[in-house]
Amino acid sequence: MIPAAFEYHAPKSLEEALRLLNRHGSEAKLLAGGHSLLPLMKLRLAAPRCVIDLGRIHALRYIREENGRIAIGALTTHTEVLESPLLRTKCPLLPQTAWEIGDVQVRNRGTIGGSLAHADPAADYPAAVLALDAEIVAASADGTRTLRAAEFFVDMLTTALLPGEILTEVRVPVLPPGTGTAYRKLHQPASGFAIVGAAARLTLGSGGKVERVAVGLTGVAPKAYRAAAVEKALTGKKASEKLLAEAARHAVPQDVELLSDLHASAEYRKAMAVVFTRRALEDALARAQSKKR
Amino acid sequence: MAEFSIIGKPLPMTDARAKVTGLGKYADDLVVPGMLFGKILHSPYPHAHIRRIDTTRAEALPGVKAVATGRDAPHPYGILPIGHDERVFQTDKVRYIGDNVAAVAATSLEVAEQALALIDVEYEPLPAVFDPLAAMQVENPEHWIHSNKPRNIEKEYHHVFGDVEQGFAEAEIIHAERFYAGEVTHAAMEPHATLAVWEPDGRLTVYSSTQVPYYLQRTLSNVCEMPMSHIRVVKPLVGGGFGGKSEVIPLEVAAAVLAKKARRPVKITYTREEVFYAHRGRPISYMDLKVGITREGRITAVEARMVQDGGAYCGYGPVTVLYSGNLLHAIYDIPAARYDGYRVLTNKPACGAMRGHGTVNMRFAFECLLDVLAEKAGLDPVELRRRNLLRAPCITANQLRVTSYGLPECIERVVERSGWTAKRGKLPFGRGIGMACSHYVSGAANPIIRSNMPHTTVHIKVDRDAGITVYTGASEIGQGSDTIQVQIVAEVLGVRPERIRLVAADTELTPVDLGSYSSRVTFMAGNACLEAARNLRAQLFDAVAKKLDCGPEVLEARDERIFPRHDRERALSFEEAVAAALEAQGALVAKGTYAPPEEARGGTFKGAGVGPSPAYSYSAQTAEVSVDPETGQLTVHRIVVAHDCGRALNPLTVEGQVEGSVYMGFGQAVQEEMIWRNGRLMNPSLLEYRIPTTLETPLIESIIVESHDPEGPFGAKEAGEGSLAATLPAIASAVYDAVGVRIHSLPITPEKILAALQEKRRQAASQTRNSGTHPGGGS
Repeated sequence: MIPAAFEYHAPKSLEEALRLLNRHGSEAKLLAGGHSLLPLMKLRLAAPRCVIDLGRIHALRYIREENGRIAIGALTTHTEVLESPLLRTKCPLLPQTAWEIGDVQVRNRGTIGGSLAHADPAADYPAAVLALDAEIVAASADGTRTLRAAEFFVDMLTTALLPGEILTEVRVPVLPPGTGTAYRKLHQPASGFAIVGAAARLTLGSGGKVERVAVGLTGVAPKAYRAAAVEKALTGKKASEKLLAEAARHAVPQDVELLSDLHASAEYRKAMAVVFTRRALEDALARAQSKKR
Repeated sequence: MAEFSIIGKPLPMTDARAKVTGLGKYADDLVVPGMLFGKILHSPYPHAHIRRIDTTRAEALPGVKAVATGRDAPHPYGILPIGHDERVFQTDKVRYIGDNVAAVAATSLEVAEQALALIDVEYEPLPAVFDPLAAMQVENPEHWIHSNKPRNIEKEYHHVFGDVEQGFAEAEIIHAERFYAGEVTHAAMEPHATLAVWEPDGRLTVYSSTQVPYYLQRTLSNVCEMPMSHIRVVKPLVGGGFGGKSEVIPLEVAAAVLAKKARRPVKITYTREEVFYAHRGRPISYMDLKVGITREGRITAVEARMVQDGGAYCGYGPVTVLYSGNLLHAIYDIPAARYDGYRVLTNKPACGAMRGHGTVNMRFAFECLLDVLAEKAGLDPVELRRRNLLRAPCITANQLRVTSYGLPECIERVVERSGWTAKRGKLPFGRGIGMACSHYVSGAANPIIRSNMPHTTVHIKVDRDAGITVYTGASEIGQGSDTIQVQIVAEVLGVRPERIRLVAADTELTPVDLGSYSSRVTFMAGNACLEAARNLRAQLFDAVAKKLDCGPEVLEARDERIFPRHDRERALSFEEAVAAALEAQGALVAKGTYAPPEEARGGTFKGAGVGPSPAYSYSAQTAEVSVDPETGQLTVHRIVVAHDCGRALNPLTVEGQVEGSVYMGFGQAVQEEMIWRNGRLMNPSLLEYRIPTTLETPLIESIIVESHDPEGPFGAKEAGEGSLAATLPAIASAVYDAVGVRIHSLPITPEKILAALQEKRRQAASQTRNSGTHPGGGS
């Protein structure tokens, strides 16, 4: 399929990109890795008048430690996240998640900023950034602001980014000792998207008690969410296989609107959210225990 | 010395180099000067009257050279003589989303697309029906999809063979069940493409991705009102057909009509979405099956009812529904059977022939039922099959002639290779092995249009430099038929295959062959090649006999030489032999033909024409799987398949075909399904309609079984379709062995497995409660 005709810009700096975005407003679409936007354009589901390609803004491609957090530039590819020694040691949940995204080609082109800004309900990163209480930095002509992951995802394909804003950076914490993380996912085999994806982060305190735990779920609902009831059922309790299984049963709160599509019905998604939450917690616990020792 | 020098050798395909280097030309690769681009306007409604079509705005668009509607091609057509219900463009009403309304030819694809948007069509929507069971209940004639098909029943057949009541009376174990199969499509790698060239002399040349060039020529002749001799159909390389190109597809007619109207060459290539809507795949099937056996496991009677969702046009429909019934037979010894088959019209794209045509879904049901019966009888599923084998040669209850029967050996070979005895019922929970069998025709014994003509004819010409040209109408579509024909001719003439050039599927140059469907080409074109090559060899032998002063009957052709059998040193080279023959007669040409023998053409009952074949292939398979009982996720690890192809003329291509069949069966078994919502296809792309990737495809181990059919060329039978059907029930049987649930609905999805497991647990719990042994029970 051939996309509709469009105007193409390839700015070399963030400032230039912001100027272009202001000039073209809602008629413009930002292009990062292109794995979401280009198929939509080819299918004519999107027909922007103007495409602003951020790919040449090399200043937005980095992973570095700053003030006890790790900052990741928006144009960092999934492969770079996956291979980063810094993230692997200090915040392994992101590399664990990146490993499960699509296939080699997708991981080499797709970017963390693009994925988060697109907010596909079946994307992988949203579960991880929620579980990590990440911060998301947005730049506009007026300056920058920092959003918490929990307030970033608004609805299906909708984020808290305002018109004229560009997502520039994601900040994740350096995880404390005694923490284990895991991302477990049921793949849609053709596209690689998550039918269910569960990101778990679990810190063990003294006496094998769960000191802190966070679970992010993607693929289940129109937007990724934190499984607060699961976290509540675990916090402060002595970790055990039975406890995790009990807690995981609360993975899908009553008020969550379940997705249902060709690949999985609402009931199946609900059942799998429980299974994959438990599996992610089990893996996270095992890793936390091995670090404790 | 080995019996053969070329036959039985794993030679690479003759077109392999062109394909892997990208130099080979498929229909869409072809470009000619002045070529226009065609696009078709499709209906957005599943069922609607057309009140008005106005093309004036489209015609006025610069770059548009022709706009065609139904007025330009009023003649109906269809692959079956009893089913001429299609027109290339509809004039009065549309019958499915995607039905064809008009087409444009323009100087670029972009202009053609713009022009489509400028065609004004006024529709008046009608009530539409999407489920065959509901379609059969529509009483209002105004709402029937075709006014001459009451209650939307395209065709129904009711067959009884043997004494069915008596058979069930004798049965000691009877099991009946309903089975369901979702709709699947071919998903050939190459989308359909046609280039129609209007020639200066008022003739038409059509290059098309077709399995049936001669049927296309015939249909175009009717629709375009031109003599067949003025229409030349050429089949370039074809990137897979699987039945999806085995009848005339609307774009082929549309390109020809546009070319004729514009007096210019016109090319149309379907988008992938259009390929899905052109469809002609395997229909949704509701199957009610009942089988009775004795305590010893002998089948006494079978009762089967099939309802197929045929879509909006006839296509191959009656043939599909007949295969489902008639090929219940010729695999096991079935003394009595009743079959009720219904082909029903719905407001969806027409179904048609797809690899394993008509047999696959019913074979799934039948083999699954055998698995249940084996358990009820306390027999190993393999043993149940052993007890119901045919004894060939024989004639089945519905008058199919079985001449060679390698099924027993297929079964024993897969049992041995798979480790069946050590595994069935003995693997840990979550892991299982299953088995099933299938069979298929080696070509339909009766042509689609009844006649006494040969089904295929082959010409051979030898040039002065002793280069050999074979002219065959047979259509290579990736299955390797060109290669097999070269091998047969090379074997008979005793020459290297490189000496032979094969010209195929060009209606101007090659004699008629009915096409690549029903796995007929190796058997029929192969036999015609065999006869043509023998006729040519006889001419060579006559000339050589004179030179060597011996009788032609003592001569042998081998390794590029012709020599007396008892005196191999007195040889003429092949070149010398050709020169001798040309001196004598000036031209060295020969022909061969094939038509199935009278005895192979089946019975005389209504519908007896479908199912008879000069020979049947057989397949047995085991599948080893694991099932995650928490998620229902199914992984197929290994399939062992044994296929009786009579004789493997080329073991490399036989294995390729068998693996391809298993692959397609695997896809249908576990993941492929067209999903419809109110006549709209929800997954018309290869991302959403999931054919398996190499990552998901199990290890396939193929075993060739050779039963040497008396009628086949060098004993060969078909290899391209017969192994598909067994894969599905083998996997279902393995799922049962793994986790104890039977999934009798295709595809076998994780959700279905999980639901069945939950149901089973619920039942077990309620039984435990009722029996009062549950710790918390007894309240």
